[in-house]
Amino acid sequence: MSLREEFVKALADLEEAKVLEITKKRIESKEDPFTILEDIRRATEIVGKRFEEGRYFVSDLIMTGEILKQVMELVRPLLGERKAESKGKVLIGSVEGDVHDIGKNIVIALLEAEGFEVIDLGVDQPPEAFVEAIKKHNPQVVGLSGLLTEAIESMKRTVDAIREAGLRDKVKIIVGGGRTSEEVRAYTGADEWADDAAVGVRKIKALVGVE
Amino acid sequence: MKVEEILREKLQRIEDVINGKEPDRVPILGATAVWHGAYAGYTTHEVLFDYGKCKSAWLKVARDFEFDTFTVIPGLEGMIYVVAFLKQPDISASARFILGSTHLALMDVFTKWPGYELDKNAHPQFIGKEIMKSNEYDQLIEDPLNFINRVAMTRINKKLSNPGSAEYNSALAKFGVELAKFGAFMADVSAELAKLGYPTVPMAWSYAPLDLIGDFLRDIKNVVMDLYRIGDKVKQAIDAVKPLVVESAMISAPPKEVRKQVFGTEIVECFFPLHLNEYLNPKLYNEFYWPSLNEVFKEVVALGLTPFVLFEGKHDAHLETLKEAPKGKVVGVFEKTDPRKVREVLGDRIILVSGPPNSLLISGTPQKVEDFMKKLLEDCKAGGMMIWPGVDGGISRDAKPENVKAMIDAVKKYGKY
Repeated sequence: MSLREEFVKALADLEEAKVLEITKKRIESKEDPFTILEDIRRATEIVGKRFEEGRYFVSDLIMTGEILKQVMELVRPLLGERKAESKGKVLIGSVEGDVHDIGKNIVIALLEAEGFEVIDLGVDQPPEAFVEAIKKHNPQVVGLSGLLTEAIESMKRTVDAIREAGLRDKVKIIVGGGRTSEEVRAYTGADEWADDAAVGVRKIKALVGVE
Repeated sequence: MKVEEILREKLQRIEDVINGKEPDRVPILGATAVWHGAYAGYTTHEVLFDYGKCKSAWLKVARDFEFDTFTVIPGLEGMIYVVAFLKQPDISASARFILGSTHLALMDVFTKWPGYELDKNAHPQFIGKEIMKSNEYDQLIEDPLNFINRVAMTRINKKLSNPGSAEYNSALAKFGVELAKFGAFMADVSAELAKLGYPTVPMAWSYAPLDLIGDFLRDIKNVVMDLYRIGDKVKQAIDAVKPLVVESAMISAPPKEVRKQVFGTEIVECFFPLHLNEYLNPKLYNEFYWPSLNEVFKEVVALGLTPFVLFEGKHDAHLETLKEAPKGKVVGVFEKTDPRKVREVLGDRIILVSGPPNSLLISGTPQKVEDFMKKLLEDCKAGGMMIWPGVDGGISRDAKPENVKAMIDAVKKYGKY
């Protein structure tokens, strides 16, 4: 197995020590860091697939995020001013009244690994903050995150505010969190919903038109 | 019917289901943190910080809706305090939830409250924090009660950061006063509820050993990574804290002699909200989470208590393990696992609790609620079950009263035996 394949396999299998060891080796051998990024994307796709197949659970996504963070700390300094081609721009935040962020952060880690540009608004963000950020960043997809059942009304208010600002046609909206469902999607007026991170990433990719 | 008879009838329903019998109809266990306040026109801040308002809203709901029990839990996860104060059982038992008032007394770093860290009408939230470092497991393992008191409590509570200081002593005194007020409030409401024909089923407190470590010491994300990195240490820590959560159940249950006299029932439920269950893959669940939890279930059942377990999130992948739990002795509220699937896998091994999700109570219509309830009851009520409306965390602040009413009407219509 080539070092690249070994790297992808170790990352998809969540072998933390091995991934970091191979990353260091690849950096020492002056490999193009963008090849490493490409392999990260491939491994992340495998992780997402395993999650959807019921082989991986949230614990595995948390571990993936943690390993990715360490790998990126090693790779980022080598990227310099060069930027990988962005797959799309996603604005994401926890809605007003909700300060939870575990789910949101897993989604962000997976999206970034897949080559998306992500703007993280943080937690407890009022509708106006989403509207302003859409105007400023011009994202393709807006992710409204929340764990509380009380987040459902906040999501609806946020979608309403985006519509009232005349921006609804410019963005696709996905609501995400443990208590979302098709019913919540319809009620809030979003385009998609996801109650787990891997499905969320797949749906965001579909909304952007990347397969 | 006399009030005492109504109360007895409601209690009988619950006793029957717990004892494995079909009652006259399916009982409805209403529970919320703030919905009663929204219904009565209060902000979440008012209803959480003003016992007078909380009581009037609580009783208003009890009068206007026909639940079999209606419980308000005006607080957030605080099991670590039960464990920390084990040597003083009366304090320990009443310290189960972090309340608005005890948050202000101790300034815990776990929770955020409306009117303080959050908007006045926001729901209070437990966010958690890393309290114990990964290299401190040995200290916890060596003497868990000592570590929790001497180290963890000083980091969890800003006002207890300097033991022996004037601020420290004052904060603990204030904490005791607030718990006494809360205890008196709950006893008062319980007596008022009885006058309206509402029983109070006593609750004892226990916990999944790994959740105690995850929720209050390491934080969820860190404890998950510990399982991959230093699993043996986590296992030792689980063994170390396990006796503490069993002792918690023991000291928080009302003594056998007084149960019937005070509460009118021999049944004592023992509360287990599970948190890491949905996070863990089956391998981790079976290695770290389940064996110790099931041992605690067995000990709690041996004490004559009925584990009342909230299976938060999706429990589908772990259902089979429940075949090992004490048969017919564990009550299970399943948040996102289809109750039909629970029946299919476990039959009457588990006492089934299900109900409409909050998304339906918030965004649905009375007709949709009725349709949902009809199907749920037809599919699952055989052999006995209970309804827990707002099955994902109790009735939400934003649940529509007409939908809650439709849920109760549907149970009366389709929940009879």
